Amino acid sequence: MPTVTEVEPMIHVDHLGKQYGERTVFSDISFDVNPGEIVSIVGPSGCGKTTLLRCVVGLMKPSHGTVLVSGTPVVDPPEGVAMVFQHFGLFPWKTIAANVAYGLTAKGVSMKDAAPRVHELIKLVGLEGFEKSYPYQLSGGMQQRAGLARALAVEPGVLVMDEPFAALDAQTRDILQLELLRIWGTRSAAMMFVTHSIDEAVLMGDRIVILRGRPSSIFDIVDVGIPHPRGRETVDTDRFRTVRDYVWRAVMHDEADDTPLPTDADAVRIEPQSHRNMNGHDHG
Amino acid sequence: MTTNTKTATRTRIARVSSTPQASTTPSRRKKITLWASAGLGILVVWQVGFTLFAPAYIATPIGAILAIPTVFADPIFFPDVASTLGAVFEGLLIAIVAGTIIGLAMGRLPDVNRVLGMYVGAFYAIPLIAIVPLFTVWFGYTPQARLAMIVLEAVLPIIYNVAEGSRIVSATYLDVTRIHRVAWWRVWTGVVLPNALPYVLAGLDLAIGRALIGAVVAEFVTAIDGLGTYILFNVHSFHQNEAVIALIVVVIFALVIRALINLAVRRGLPWYQPVKEA
Ligand SMILES: Nc1ncnc2c1ncn2[C@@H]1O[C@H](COP(=O)(O)OP(=O)(O)OP(=O)(O)O)[C@@H](O)[C@H]1O
Ligand SMILES: [Mg+2]
Repeated sequence: MPTVTEVEPMIHVDHLGKQYGERTVFSDISFDVNPGEIVSIVGPSGCGKTTLLRCVVGLMKPSHGTVLVSGTPVVDPPEGVAMVFQHFGLFPWKTIAANVAYGLTAKGVSMKDAAPRVHELIKLVGLEGFEKSYPYQLSGGMQQRAGLARALAVEPGVLVMDEPFAALDAQTRDILQLELLRIWGTRSAAMMFVTHSIDEAVLMGDRIVILRGRPSSIFDIVDVGIPHPRGRETVDTDRFRTVRDYVWRAVMHDEADDTPLPTDADAVRIEPQSHRNMNGHDHG
Repeated sequence: MTTNTKTATRTRIARVSSTPQASTTPSRRKKITLWASAGLGILVVWQVGFTLFAPAYIATPIGAILAIPTVFADPIFFPDVASTLGAVFEGLLIAIVAGTIIGLAMGRLPDVNRVLGMYVGAFYAIPLIAIVPLFTVWFGYTPQARLAMIVLEAVLPIIYNVAEGSRIVSATYLDVTRIHRVAWWRVWTGVVLPNALPYVLAGLDLAIGRALIGAVVAEFVTAIDGLGTYILFNVHSFHQNEAVIALIVVVIFALVIRALINLAVRRGLPWYQPVKEA
């Protein structure tokens, strides 16, 4: 095994830029996501979070720069990448079981052969008994559980989520955040988690990429530094509050606004290029 | 036309999802009562008015009822019914398959839409009756001319609805297929086609009526055996009551087909139940 400082990043984003015609959405974005790490992406609405995510997974071509997933340049969506969508994206004509199995059956695996894994995942996300239901018969939170199970069914090394809980009510969101952390603890995927909610970014993320400006670029990458497993009590820790306040000010901080960043900024700021020991989590 | 398409879809969804309880609500019962008494009123006015003021060979409700035994005993009636309705059925099947394929291609492939869109729009706009004489030149005075007419009439609303409906496949669905690296043909069969199904059904709803018109009109012009010819012949030979019975058979056929489709939807497409009530 290589030493921790030489861990090959699962996702390597290198000087990525995207333009729509004349308009530059973001430029010069570089960061890594290591195996088993969750990186939250925050930034104001319209700053290009969705665009960035779609470029990373190969649903969209960047205008500049490259993305490597497991060391291979991304052109089209590569094998071993899964995505969870804000509006779930479940097929209304398929049962929950068939939706969860989609990544397998779409490759020619029979529903029967997929059944054991589908059953296991449905159990994992807490949807037992709803295998034969159709999406419209489930609440939004349950639909997103199915969306998560579908993403996990292909055993992805990279899991990206675009505001997966934004369409849900606050209570369901709170529950699903912790559920996701629990489920992710049983896997070892590198995860990119786009969210509008700064609290959510801190709770979910090992690191937080803050996008800002027009065109946007990385303002900062924050090391959350809260060990796993995390729970509801995590939000009551001093560290959580420190990080949240810093990220909040960083996101809200306007160019015209002279308010200095918090004095404890150095406690959370890290250089984007610096090496981190990302194998330190214990989530067995 | 877009508005029409959407309306068609919405009515169908509403109809499919109406529960047994809903059918016995007071407002529903009132509607049925009104509907029945209006129908009865029309029949009475028709009967009384025509008995008093019209020549005896003009059809009346009682005359039509009395003509039923004669019609059913007529050795050519049932073969004529079978001929026309068989052709309508066949034509509808062809129209569903062809219309769905062409509609999907138009909806999803901009190049196809550019080539075909104008023609479909034009054909949809003109009275197709004008084409029947042309068909008789191409196909002769044959059942093939009738079938061609039925298919042409029925295929247009299906193409139109399916094209309109598949144009708006949710971008998320397509992202799901791309992220799972799904083969293109599986995207078509597994996503684009099921997504278009409600639109196929909406188009089919319109197509049934048009197919029957096509069949009857084609028979009027070509005089091949069938219900249209039966109607025309009886009207011309002062047997209007018999013609009315044939007409009623056409109406019943249309209603039965629609009921069958609704049943098939309820049984075969359970996911197609939800009503998005705004
Ligand atoms: N297909 C497109 N053509 C042109 N401009 C686009 C297109 N898609 C997105 N944009 C623009 O790119 C910018 C970034 O969009 P994007 O959806 O990535 O932002 P976002 O950060 O995800 O926003 P939100 O937080 O609201 O989801 C927006 O200003 C948007 O108008
Ligand atoms: Mg977005």
